Amino acid sequence: MIEVKDISKNFGRKKVLKGVSFTANKGEITCLIGINGVGKTTIMNAIMNLTPIKSGEILIDGEKLSKKTFEKITFIPDAITMLPQMTIGEALQFMKDFYESWNSERANELLTFFRLKEEEKISSLSKGNTAKVNLLLGLALDVDYLLMDEPFTGIDIFSREQIAEVFTSHLVEDRGVIITTHEINDIEHLIDKVVLLDEGVVRKEFHTEEVRENEGKSVVDVMREVYKQ
Amino acid sequence: MKVTFNKRDPVYVQVVRHFKEQIATGNLEPGQEIPSRRELANQLKINPNTAQRAYKEMEEAGLIFTQGNSPSKITRDENIISSVREELILEAVEDFVSAIRPIKVPIEEVVGILKEKYNDDVFERRDKND
Repeated sequence: MIEVKDISKNFGRKKVLKGVSFTANKGEITCLIGINGVGKTTIMNAIMNLTPIKSGEILIDGEKLSKKTFEKITFIPDAITMLPQMTIGEALQFMKDFYESWNSERANELLTFFRLKEEEKISSLSKGNTAKVNLLLGLALDVDYLLMDEPFTGIDIFSREQIAEVFTSHLVEDRGVIITTHEINDIEHLIDKVVLLDEGVVRKEFHTEEVRENEGKSVVDVMREVYKQ
Repeated sequence: MKVTFNKRDPVYVQVVRHFKEQIATGNLEPGQEIPSRRELANQLKINPNTAQRAYKEMEEAGLIFTQGNSPSKITRDENIISSVREELILEAVEDFVSAIRPIKVPIEEVVGILKEKYNDDVFERRDKND
């Protein structure tokens, strides 16, 4: 379980996070929702210790962030971090050299699944295919937790469907996933849990099936209630 | 297998309903093997946890059974199968009745139109298939 406990963060005088708390379980897909600038990416950066926080605590499986916890988790940012002149094959090799948890078999499986060719240069890929390579680099690591920042933004509907399909497969099963998005429609059926953020605080945290079952509401219904108050 | 889900009913409930329809119409036969929860999640594009929940519900309701490590199968219990069919018919009729009642149409008129439409529909479907 990833536990985010009352974290705060300022950028200069601007308070970006004002005491954010939520949990994300292993084996579940947790979705952080909020409009742009609400602090979604900052939260992910904080979980990865890529940005210092002012106060609060983040625990992974009950442990504080350390060198060890980073073996359990990976972050897929919204833009690919490989050098553009590399080919896909070279990027895979780079990951293999760098990470012990790299799973070559799974990487090959994902190449086939996304219909990507190893010899293609990253700089020559379409936006959708770049997003797929980016996702592949994260998914092929044998880690318990995956953080994905806006995996659906700016790509065509068929690529989106293909990426959504990953969430229904063994590639993600049994892992804990946190994804951020502001387009919930495509993935409403796929996610277990939703954390609604607004102006640096969590407005609501709920399980999607429970809200459908007990209140007969869709995720968008709940969002409308929360954000239009 | 393709199912269009609505957004306000629990997905697992919609999956169970889909299976009930398949059982009632005989598309899924008694004793027939069904996909694993992972396969189902992938086919229906749903969360594996949801598929798991649907199977648990169906197992508890006796719609499917699992022996040891072999794949789950559709029940062979005739009573359960016929009650599924009855349940679906009743549900549909109740929906229809609650939709038509506020319009205050005499029942004879409803039955007449119903018969006409019901047959029309059959023919239309046949035409499309030809």
